[in-house]
Amino acid sequence: MIAPIPKRPAVRFRRIAHPLLLCLLAALIPVACADTPKRIVTLFQGATDTALALGLQPVGVVESWTQQPAFRYLRAQLGQPTFLGLETQPDLEAIAWLQPDLIVGAYGRHHLIQPLLSRMAPTVIADQVYDFKALLHRMGEATQHQAEADRLLARWQQRVADFRRQMADKLGDRWPQTVSVISFRSDHARIYYGGFARIVLDELGFDRPAAQDQDGWGIKLTSQESIPTMDADAIFIFMVESDPAVMRTYRQWTAHPLWKQLSAVREDQVFRVDPVTWNMGGGYLAANRMLDELYDHYRLSPNTVSRECPQC
Amino acid sequence: MNPSLILRSGDDRLSLKIPRRTLGVVCILAGLLIGCAAASLSLGSHPTSLGDVASVLAGSDDSGLSLIVGEIRLPRVLLAILAGAALGVAGLLLQGLVRNPLASPDVIGITSGASAAAVAVLTLDLAVRGDALLPLAAITGAFAVALVILALTGGHRASPGQLVLVGVGLASALGALITFMLVLSGDASAMNAYLWLTGSLYAAQWGDVIRLAPWLAIFLPVALVCARQLDVLALGDPMATGLGAPLSGYRPLMLLSAVALAGSAVSVAGGLSFIGLVAPHMARNLVRGGHTGRLVTTAFLGALILLCADMVGRLGFAPRDLPAGVFVAAVGAPYFVYQMYRLKR
Repeated sequence: MIAPIPKRPAVRFRRIAHPLLLCLLAALIPVACADTPKRIVTLFQGATDTALALGLQPVGVVESWTQQPAFRYLRAQLGQPTFLGLETQPDLEAIAWLQPDLIVGAYGRHHLIQPLLSRMAPTVIADQVYDFKALLHRMGEATQHQAEADRLLARWQQRVADFRRQMADKLGDRWPQTVSVISFRSDHARIYYGGFARIVLDELGFDRPAAQDQDGWGIKLTSQESIPTMDADAIFIFMVESDPAVMRTYRQWTAHPLWKQLSAVREDQVFRVDPVTWNMGGGYLAANRMLDELYDHYRLSPNTVSRECPQC
Repeated sequence: MNPSLILRSGDDRLSLKIPRRTLGVVCILAGLLIGCAAASLSLGSHPTSLGDVASVLAGSDDSGLSLIVGEIRLPRVLLAILAGAALGVAGLLLQGLVRNPLASPDVIGITSGASAAAVAVLTLDLAVRGDALLPLAAITGAFAVALVILALTGGHRASPGQLVLVGVGLASALGALITFMLVLSGDASAMNAYLWLTGSLYAAQWGDVIRLAPWLAIFLPVALVCARQLDVLALGDPMATGLGAPLSGYRPLMLLSAVALAGSAVSVAGGLSFIGLVAPHMARNLVRGGHTGRLVTTAFLGALILLCADMVGRLGFAPRDLPAGVFVAAVGAPYFVYQMYRLKR
């Protein structure tokens, strides 16, 4: 949804004008098409990722969770934006000073500041931070890059179909594989039933163990007795490996006898993956990098559509 | 020179004694508060001159500045002043009421009640920060805890000791409940809950100020009227009863005022602690004499502490905007250690 927004003549004009008429006008007066938002502010990681996927450089972004101030995979394209502090409490004044013409936030994080944001510029508020396809679609609409967004989405669907076909060929009747998505934190472990990595894996056709077929984001485990619930054909682990406390938890849990009995562990099917692309990035580029990792991991032949996304 | 000013009405029915020292301290604190408020209005990620601030406040500036000063900074400054004053006064009332210098809204379970209700709403995904349900739940939680305390201690006949013990017990039970809910919740809602628990004035808006102001308009005068009774109460229950103080009527009224002030402040500013504990102690060191002067001093001190803490959180680490609660605790804890040191000497 695009929130009810300031009365800017340009925005009103866009609503009433027929696209054909608009293009005709655009040919006559090039300035009229300067209507597309040029100064975009992104208030969560997935929004920054998605803006860059669309080929748009935000003027203001929030700091990343790790690799501050920006995730490494985005740095080359990011340029020199203004950093606006943390995703949870971005600097409102700094946003206002940037005089944005589009602000992208997320409901769970920015509902509190939405009244103030919509005084500054039109806002796009995502329902879920991890729903990268919905976000790409809505940001494409708001920035008048619908065609580009549709093209990127089609490209994604094509890659997904290619991945599923190659996996079915390669694994035969071991496909679909059940996989667990696990994370270790400084004082507990987690199994994800939802969230970014899980919805991507679901879309790619991976299955999940019956015990993990539940609603909600997942579960925090504090007792090592619950290790057996992690079991699956394969286990993907993401964690912030630069944090010593996290690595201590990881070593403790993986040294436990119950861990050694997991079928994924016995079959040597436990894999450490990048927490930035699997969990924190949360946008179209992150999803594609996650898919790249999976292509590599299962030794599939990289498919041809990759070239069609210059940003990926 | 007479250390007090004494004002009398014509027929001597009403009189007011104002110690000069109290008057001086209150004037200085008011000056400091105005200075801090002005600084807070003009400082930000791009500082504005005081002249520009004044022209925005006078309504003659219609540029982008009016959004930044009038909608982002001003409500936040006002909310800090109101919430700080309310928490300080609530602490003073409770300390006098239970005759225990360690009493405060957060020690006695009122803040915990508000916090537990707010965290429940956040972690059950019934609301996110910014929903109207959240302050409503918080203030309901605060009142619910007060009712439970009264029910368990037998209402107006309760002794101060009983009130404290039951309050502390409830506070720790609710603390366990909060931890339980946080452990069960996902990243996003747990993060929102933590921010709320720390206490933050981030994104304070006019709606918050309008929601909080009526509570102070009603219960600060009530507290001022009650303050006189606190002087008598300080002598102990038997003496107070002997002097004819209507304890059974005033006690519930004082408790109600404390809960209303603390609950309403916490409902808009989150689980701020320490102000209710520290501000009354500071006031006790600054002014002597009765509770009336101390109450006014406490209100100014509470407002000043929260306003400064919020300014540090907002400006000290820009562009990061850190919750004021962090800095209130950072000032409050060392002050308390200093207080202990003084007591030992």
